[in-house]
Amino acid sequence: MKLSKILAMSWEGMSQRKFRTSLTTLGVVVGITAIISLASLGEGFRLEIRERMQTGFELENLTVIPGSFFAGLSKEGFIDKDVQSISNISGVKVATPLMQVGNVTLYNKNETVRAFVATAVNFTEFVKIFPDRFIFEDGKLPTEDRNDTIVIGYRVNHPTENETAPFAIANDNITLTSRVLQINPPNPPFYKQENHTFTVAGTLQKRGTPGITNFDYWVFIPLETARKIYNTQESQLIFVKVYDHEESERIADEIEGLFPPFSVTILVPLTFIKQVDHILTVVQIFLMAIASISLLVAGIGIMNIMTVSVMERTREIGILKAIGAKSRTVLAIFLAEATLIGITGGLIGVFTGYGLSHVLAYGLSGLVQTQQQDAGFQPPDAQRMSINPAFSPEWTIIAFVFAIIVCIIFGLYPARKAAKLDPVEALRYE
Amino acid sequence: MATILEVCEVRKNYHMGKVVVPALRGVSFDVEKGEFLAIFGPSGGGKSTLLHLMGCLDRPDKGKILIDGSNILKLSDDKLAELRLTKMGFVFQFFNLLPRLTSLRNVELPLTIAGLPEKETSKRANEMLKLVGLEGRMDHRPFELSGGEQQRVAMARALINDPKIVLADEPTGNLDTKTGWEIVELMKKLNKEKGQTFVVVTHDPHIAEAADRIIHLKDGLIEEIKKAPRRNKQ
Ligand SMILES: Nc1ncnc2c1ncn2[C@@H]1O[C@H](COP(=O)(O)OP(=O)(O)O)[C@@H](O)[C@H]1O
Ligand SMILES: [Mg+2]
Repeated sequence: MKLSKILAMSWEGMSQRKFRTSLTTLGVVVGITAIISLASLGEGFRLEIRERMQTGFELENLTVIPGSFFAGLSKEGFIDKDVQSISNISGVKVATPLMQVGNVTLYNKNETVRAFVATAVNFTEFVKIFPDRFIFEDGKLPTEDRNDTIVIGYRVNHPTENETAPFAIANDNITLTSRVLQINPPNPPFYKQENHTFTVAGTLQKRGTPGITNFDYWVFIPLETARKIYNTQESQLIFVKVYDHEESERIADEIEGLFPPFSVTILVPLTFIKQVDHILTVVQIFLMAIASISLLVAGIGIMNIMTVSVMERTREIGILKAIGAKSRTVLAIFLAEATLIGITGGLIGVFTGYGLSHVLAYGLSGLVQTQQQDAGFQPPDAQRMSINPAFSPEWTIIAFVFAIIVCIIFGLYPARKAAKLDPVEALRYE
Repeated sequence: MATILEVCEVRKNYHMGKVVVPALRGVSFDVEKGEFLAIFGPSGGGKSTLLHLMGCLDRPDKGKILIDGSNILKLSDDKLAELRLTKMGFVFQFFNLLPRLTSLRNVELPLTIAGLPEKETSKRANEMLKLVGLEGRMDHRPFELSGGEQQRVAMARALINDPKIVLADEPTGNLDTKTGWEIVELMKKLNKEKGQTFVVVTHDPHIAEAADRIIHLKDGLIEEIKKAPRRNKQ
């Protein structure tokens, strides 16, 4: 029997019981809708997170921190030789040390501001690491030969939102007060308050970068100056910029190899992003597995309905067999029915899934936004979280094929039952 | 005359739980090519069982059924289906048409199953329906037809694959006497014109009288085989 005729026959059988067939198909529609919408929302969510992380993390920048999460040899700080060794690794564009000064108070005439993160850097190298974020609102990058310059982050310079005048502008002379640890054996160590005068080289634009290096709250002074004031050659961080972020994991391994085991920690944005991506994938698969259950339920529905239908059509099957239809022809007619339900339900499900995911995405985006406004730590300019469902053709096809396969698998039992019917028994059936 | 079908010592039991119901208890006879044979006897005598075996719908427990010399016991289910499709035509007491198909579609069904192109199937179904006198009922569905008309459609379906043997199980059993006779006349006519072999099961002696030969079946055994007097005279 020709396939077209088999399909026509199945179609007739289905259209004769429209209501029942529709309900059976509806089960498949619901299953596929759930799978498609969860898959596309999950994918959209993942893409949004990835994009945010990629803008939040500078992928080319690695941060080397002394010590590690494991107990072990903890390194106090880095020396210039460490920085030099890192610079020599192939693929490293620039490596620069950063010295933490702690929190300081700045005085400009009778204005006072506090900066919680005061750091000492080599400006020329540092700007190479953060070219996008070390951008001046006023003034410019200090030159190497000056040792009394300071760069002030936006939030330090504008402590309150509605401040009209900034704390300082370029070329202001300001006083920096900090505490310096005095070690003078045999006396116990103590902190001594020290004042130093700096000239403002420039103030930074607002960036609002989330993460640990939000320069808005930072002030920067020349590294050499800090080394003299604090009488140390050590630095607490090394920033590394690589040429190609794809290489960052390899380079991180090489950097780690320069130090004793477990004595440094290297923050590799790519690794972090990969891990988050991995977690999101697992979550997504989990969601889809749950959604798939609804498709299995639909499959059981198909099995149920088709078994009833085979019983109702026993006599018809007997007639078909009596006039010469082979078992496999009968099997094909019933499997075709299951397949048609799968195709129809799958197709409708794909479209309703697309529709539903847009509706859900709209709702979710609104929800995320409201919560964001409540969160105090978020910079006010954080853009609205918008989840756009991402439809991958692969997943759509996989879901669609899955629907058909489920239908065929669950249709197989009743179809085989029909195919195995003994024609004589079937003809006697009332 | 050549033998088209041989029944040799055929036995068939049905099992209802532990009870064994003997339906055929050793039946032997030949069917000649082009013959119009009646199987006659009381209800429960095993007529339908015998017809089903002759029509390759079922296999005997013991004995042989040879169609054109080959034993159907040795054939697979698929081969039997093929035999039914190409060599057999069935007519049933309750017509057994597919209710949602038109007369035309019902008649062309065997050819459709055989995989013939639609152009040919509908052309031949058309001719068949004309042959049984139903040219005006092509697009009617079974419930829109009278019993006699439905049985004519069934006849057309049985004949469309140009079968060697047409097997009819109480074809008049569900029709009034007049309509029943019309069906018998139609079968006689086709038998004469096309030379096809007819085996008709009936419990009606008048219908049986119309056949060339009558096999009396009772309690699963052949009581007697007799040639119809009219035929003898010819
Ligand atoms: N499927 C079956 N299961 C059990 N008994 C059956 C079955 N088919 C027929 N029989 C029994 O076999 C005997 C012959 O039946 P059947 O061939 O239908 O007779 P007829 O057609 O002459 O009325 C009867 O006693 C009937 O009850
Ligand atoms: Mg009977």
